[in-house]
Amino acid sequence: MKVAWRMFIILMIFLLAMVPLYAGWQQKDFGRVPEVAGPIALFISALMMALAGWYLWVTNRKFENLPDDNPEGEISDVEGDYGFFTPSSWWPLALGFSSALAFAGLAVGWWLFMIAFAIGCVALIGWTFEHFKGEHAN
Amino acid sequence: MVWLSSELMFFAGLFAIYFQLRSVSSELWAEQTGKLNITFAVVNTLILVISSVWCQIGVMKAERGQPARTGKLTEIGKWGMREWYVVTYIFGSVFVAGQVYEYAQLVSENVTLSSDRYGSIFYMATGFHGLHVTGGLIAFLLIIGRTFTTRRYTHTQAVGAVVTSYYWHFVDVVWIALFAVIYLLK
Repeated sequence: MKVAWRMFIILMIFLLAMVPLYAGWQQKDFGRVPEVAGPIALFISALMMALAGWYLWVTNRKFENLPDDNPEGEISDVEGDYGFFTPSSWWPLALGFSSALAFAGLAVGWWLFMIAFAIGCVALIGWTFEHFKGEHAN
Repeated sequence: MVWLSSELMFFAGLFAIYFQLRSVSSELWAEQTGKLNITFAVVNTLILVISSVWCQIGVMKAERGQPARTGKLTEIGKWGMREWYVVTYIFGSVFVAGQVYEYAQLVSENVTLSSDRYGSIFYMATGFHGLHVTGGLIAFLLIIGRTFTTRRYTHTQAVGAVVTSYYWHFVDVVWIALFAVIYLLK
């Protein structure tokens, strides 16, 4: 991940450099900065790159010699367990349905929102506890 | 992490709206920001920042695989992840309650969501942040609830606790930025 975090940091530096350039250009042409949203969007984009780069840097320090950084590496080098994935679950469908219903409820009326909220609570708890209670408990 | 990045850009939009509106209506800003209660907001901000510290201690306990306290409730040094997350939850709830109190005060001074541009963006930015804090509180409840379900504290549980803490720190940092922009940069 050495390459990955460096790439994000380079992008961060580029975006940071663009902030004064963009604002200064407006200053030169108009004598003031009429479009304020742009420099802020550029600056926070730089923060986003810093966030991703920082995370990859920290992850990189935890693991040594990842196959990602080996130019001679093969795709098969990164095989293995990636994490725990649910074989199949109906809870996300229920959660999505309740969210859709809740948003519809904001437009239709509070009674519908309250019904959707109740379904959402059940779905959320069902989803997060699926592998901690009952038949799939580990 | 990808999701946190998209969240960051969502708040970027709100910041951009705030500055754009401020640059075109500075008189309104001078009038309305005078109504803010800075002292109250500073205390509330401190509460949220401190909650992040408690959360991080909880994460250290989770990474050590200690979900619950090993001593009495009064022996803070022996607290597990669960106790620290409960404390974080309490501090977070106090923050949200403080926000609600502040809204009530501002509404009584005629700053509402539909009063003017300032009111719209003030409630949009702080309100969306408040919703995120509330979402984080619900996540804490679920993480705390999970620790009661298994006899052995598993790796999956620790990962859940760590990820929730990432989200909490993110929301905290966004608030520090919002606080600086809304209360300090008048």
